[in-house]
Amino acid sequence: MKLHKETEQIQHLLGDYCRNGIEQDIPGLTPGRVHHYRRLVYNVVKGAMDTAFPITLAALGEEQWEELVQDFFANDFPQTPQIWKLPFEFYRFHATRETGQRIRQPYLEDLLYFEWIEIEVHTMPDRPYPQVLPHGNIFIDRLAFNPEFEIIRLDYPVHLYAAEKASEMKGDYFVLIFRTPDSGKVQFLNLSGINTYILTRMVEEDVPLNQLKGDIAQVSGIESGKYLDDALEKFIGDLMEKQLILGFLKE
Amino acid sequence: MEGQVGIGFRRDISQEILESSVLTPDFLEFAPENWMGMGGYWNRIRKEAVEKYPVTCHGLSLSLGSPEELDWDFIRELKIFLDENQVSIFSEHLSYTKSRNAHLYDLLPIPFRQDAVDHVVDRIKQVQNFLERPLAIENVSYYTPVAAEMTEIEFVSEIVEKAECKLLLDVNNVYVNAFNHGYDAREFIGKMPLDKVEYIHMAGHEQVEPDLIIDTHGQPIIDPVYDLFEWTIQRMDPVPVLLERDFNFNELEELQSELTHLKSIVKKHWKAAPESSETKLLVANKNRRSHETA
Repeated sequence: MKLHKETEQIQHLLGDYCRNGIEQDIPGLTPGRVHHYRRLVYNVVKGAMDTAFPITLAALGEEQWEELVQDFFANDFPQTPQIWKLPFEFYRFHATRETGQRIRQPYLEDLLYFEWIEIEVHTMPDRPYPQVLPHGNIFIDRLAFNPEFEIIRLDYPVHLYAAEKASEMKGDYFVLIFRTPDSGKVQFLNLSGINTYILTRMVEEDVPLNQLKGDIAQVSGIESGKYLDDALEKFIGDLMEKQLILGFLKE
Repeated sequence: MEGQVGIGFRRDISQEILESSVLTPDFLEFAPENWMGMGGYWNRIRKEAVEKYPVTCHGLSLSLGSPEELDWDFIRELKIFLDENQVSIFSEHLSYTKSRNAHLYDLLPIPFRQDAVDHVVDRIKQVQNFLERPLAIENVSYYTPVAAEMTEIEFVSEIVEKAECKLLLDVNNVYVNAFNHGYDAREFIGKMPLDKVEYIHMAGHEQVEPDLIIDTHGQPIIDPVYDLFEWTIQRMDPVPVLLERDFNFNELEELQSELTHLKSIVKKHWKAAPESSETKLLVANKNRRSHETA
């Protein structure tokens, strides 16, 4: 490398100052000017995090939120050249450090993840759509799924309740997040454990619902029959209405 | 696109650019980092914009001045993006945005030193070779020099010459730097390698202290910067001119009036160059179709 160690070190000192705000002995500066770099750099990162995590910001309050942003930017090493992906690194940093436990906000990790996953699903690369038939039988035909979705598991129901209330309701929660084909908007759907099981099996195994009914009956404790069929029909109907299921696959 | 006037394609004004007749740029400039690898709604908007307008790209994260290795994974993705969108001009900042392997997401000033010149020249050559296209580097605004051992004009000129790259002349940045560091903007531009200029940026700024201007891209262009622009373009061949605005989009008519003002100056001094934007657009679209069927 043609860059001298001294020049490299000077560049790092300015970078360090921008990240942590601790004054450095940098040669050749115009007095009273360098603080603008810290301000400008930090504001870019703070603005990106404020925009990505408005619910978390509101739940924690500005002061505590600011501490989280400062901690992240001073101590993490952001790797993405695309700042709209930086919120994921922010989430990962605080999840790894168990910041939520430290600041006694146990829901924090879930809430950051929940807010990030909305961005991720909204912006993730397009996935190929299946060829769809509009008519069919939900029990004997294979269903055509909108491919742009994720299912996440949370400890706290931050998708249903405000953070304070959610923090008192630790459990197992499942959320379906998907991108609507026409508008590109993101929708959320709270899933029960059994519906998560059904959905996951259908997607992973790509078989008609009839082939799964025995297992579904066993896991749910509901006898195979009209009651189970009605429940499945309603669940599939809801997913069709919301455009997670687009129709039926061509055989 | 010589002599044409474009605007930065920002999400906040994407609908207006694509659907309304309030804004009439000749071309659009994308920051590739803000669009690369993105699907869904914004991917559709990008495709629509590329169908409708000729496109240039202005990078944010190459970090040409960093001590760190170049990020080749990123550059590979960038090449795909530039090719997919048939980008005519690709430019980047003569600055660094990464330190100790951490991205900083803003432009830090490279020390004006000979070893930094040699380092940046090597990196520009590597990038140009890989992308198989020339890179236009932008003279950035800076608020303090850092450990300088040569002047800014020496620094910029030597890099452009040795790297055999192009120059993106940001006229507002020259104005900002001249104000902040007490030099004469016209004299500075007169010494720039104007024959290497491939592209011009124009923008507004904000004076935050009696002796300091920050390059914000959030305000209208001020008259002295228009004057400097007019003075400059009389000394060089026609190139595309871009209006940069990153926020404060409240008054689209105000943005359009800036585009109109820039076009009127361009038309006055670069008489031979401009085809009408519609003609140019037809040519660009025709070229695009030829490329697709080739």
